[in-house]
Amino acid sequence: MKQEMVAMILAGGRGSRLKDLTSRVAKPAVSFGGKYRIIDFPLSNCANSGIDVVGVLTQYESVLLGSYVAGGRSWGLDTRGGGVYVLPPREKADSDLDVYRGTADAITQNIDFIDSYDPDYILVLSGDHIYKMNYSDMLQAHKKAGADATIAVIGVPKKEASRFGIMNTDETGRITEFEEKPANPKSNLASMGIYIFTWKKLRALLVKDKTDAASQHDFGKNIIPTMLKAGSKLIAYQFRGYWKDVGTIDSLWEANMDLLGHRNELNLADGSWIIYSEDAVEMPQFIGQDAKINVAYITQGCRVNGEVDHSVLFTNTLVRGKAKIVDTVLMPDTVVDEDAVVTRALVAPGVHIGKGAKVGRKDSSSILLVAHDVREGETL
Amino acid sequence: MINALGIVTSSNGRYHVAGLEDYRPIGAFSFLGRYRIVDFPVSNLSNSNIDQIQVYVSQNPRSLAEHLGGGQQYNINSKRGKLQLLFNQDSRVNEIYNTDVAAYMDNIGILERNHMDYVVITPGNMIFKQDYQKLLQAHVDSGADVTLLYHKVSNAKVHYRSTAILQLNRQKGVKSIARNDGTQDNRNIFMDTYVMKRELFIRLIRDAAKTSSIYNLADILNIRSEELDIRGYQHREDYLAAVYDFTSYYQANLDLLDFQKASALFSPQWPIYTKTTDSCPVQYVEGSRVTDSMIANGCLVEGTVEHSVIGRGVKIEKGAVVKNCVILGHSVIGKDVYLENQVVDKWAKVLHVGELVAPADRPGYVRREDVL
Repeated sequence: MKQEMVAMILAGGRGSRLKDLTSRVAKPAVSFGGKYRIIDFPLSNCANSGIDVVGVLTQYESVLLGSYVAGGRSWGLDTRGGGVYVLPPREKADSDLDVYRGTADAITQNIDFIDSYDPDYILVLSGDHIYKMNYSDMLQAHKKAGADATIAVIGVPKKEASRFGIMNTDETGRITEFEEKPANPKSNLASMGIYIFTWKKLRALLVKDKTDAASQHDFGKNIIPTMLKAGSKLIAYQFRGYWKDVGTIDSLWEANMDLLGHRNELNLADGSWIIYSEDAVEMPQFIGQDAKINVAYITQGCRVNGEVDHSVLFTNTLVRGKAKIVDTVLMPDTVVDEDAVVTRALVAPGVHIGKGAKVGRKDSSSILLVAHDVREGETL
Repeated sequence: MINALGIVTSSNGRYHVAGLEDYRPIGAFSFLGRYRIVDFPVSNLSNSNIDQIQVYVSQNPRSLAEHLGGGQQYNINSKRGKLQLLFNQDSRVNEIYNTDVAAYMDNIGILERNHMDYVVITPGNMIFKQDYQKLLQAHVDSGADVTLLYHKVSNAKVHYRSTAILQLNRQKGVKSIARNDGTQDNRNIFMDTYVMKRELFIRLIRDAAKTSSIYNLADILNIRSEELDIRGYQHREDYLAAVYDFTSYYQANLDLLDFQKASALFSPQWPIYTKTTDSCPVQYVEGSRVTDSMIANGCLVEGTVEHSVIGRGVKIEKGAVVKNCVILGHSVIGKDVYLENQVVDKWAKVLHVGELVAPADRPGYVRREDVL
């Protein structure tokens, strides 16, 4: 069935900067914000933008991610003709089993999948950002400009601009230059890793890139520079709103902490742009007789009888009496026993923190990742 | 596995819950913040591998129909299984005609065309956990014609008023089904749950309908008790709540703030399914104080909550105090409002009253969508 635009989510990366959090799951499957996983954001954005077909390009530890997104029902993406398709590298009649050698190669290897929907446009997303965005507005801008490619950009503080891929544009918004992590940035428009391509144009480029031995088959390093050199029309689409790369433990922790602000910018309570997720069958959260809660984001299935201060508690966490959780993220199924104190930490799923343990420090320069059980009385 | 058709009955005017029931049948009542009462019988059936389920609805079907939908959330097989809503027309002339038998007779063709050997009939106003495969197996093993599920209680003078009780002989044979008249504390509360062959069930309801237009299934069983082998089967789980009037609804919610009781009802091996609303986690802001409460997702808490059940998407504003209350979804408790022993129905806003306090044994009620 023909689709105007098909979305492809690049979800193959291991996300090794997330250390032990991604030792068993791919980065897009990492938990976020109490009840979500990172990939819920692009998938929900697709659903809310009226995109029916989403390909999820997986490579690293894709079993959990695959079973999580399969079918797409949690996001309402299970319409007839639509769906969420998990696309690991495949052996084909004309090629052997291969890995995805780069972001562009992941798309190249799925040209047959994309062609089966005969789309006019293709939306390429990454699976590691937290944001809410209407891709259909971006498509309107792409069509209006008659662009070959449209790249979503966000204004970042000038002093941080050298950490990003920066787009230099003319006064009409046309991209004149792309600089990856420039030492002296000329603008503050950072690429969000969100691209819309006119499919015919991109398809031709990908076919050519496939056999280019010098290419790393990467959108940022090869495809975009090639298009600029060839004089293709590339447009910057400026996004305003909350956007966060959660590629490191510190930034993942920070993005969770951002939810504690009453009327925070991401606003997950907004009923007009819901972020959908897998349905949990746990009972509502139970706040016990001795609980003390001051500024917290707590979800279904949690049981709290201790003190929670400026922290985010994910599904099914248990905080026993007299335990103290400060400036901390407790991921699903964690247990904190009596008298334990956890400060400035990100506790990985299922970790058990024993009675009286002391974990993390108030003045630590970076966030402590707790990926293994902590014994009774232990200090970490 | 014994194959059976599951039937969830509506209370058909046998019980009346003031206020809440004006808007929806008891099965559609919000329970413990995120459930509706019907989720419990339907989840019991689904967890017992019974995936053909009929839910009877008479009055105000909208909220129940909307909640149950196609039944996907109950984890029943999407091809073999089926969750079906069956409607019947209640008599407006005289409510004595509104019997369960009348509802079955309105849908007799569907019952006759079904292929299942047995029926499990269970009420839409009670909250408990029961593995129906165990009950079916006991029924088959005993060779009885009909098996009735009951729960032993020692507080029937005050509680379970107007529910049915079983009088049993020593062999657990049912002598009669009677009304709890509140004269004795020790009673076998009949959980309005029946197991029998589907064919016998159809014969009995046809018999009942022919005998009298105002007979219920329990009436015809009483009359045929001599010729039928009717046995009682004791419900062995600790928890049972029956919602038969306003106070029992309120109590059933607050009772589950006893975490031991709640854990007995909710176990990972026996999930209670409900429809997701995809609401976000609960936001607790500076100055909030919450103890001894269950809070459903989507809430914003700025004030104080003590010993209460808070539904989805409720807003408790700064300085508000909510004590011993059941607050249903999407209500707003305004700045500095004090509430004690209240049930606040969905979408209500309590903004302009300083305080609303009722005695614990006679809780107050704020109507749906009201602004106070």
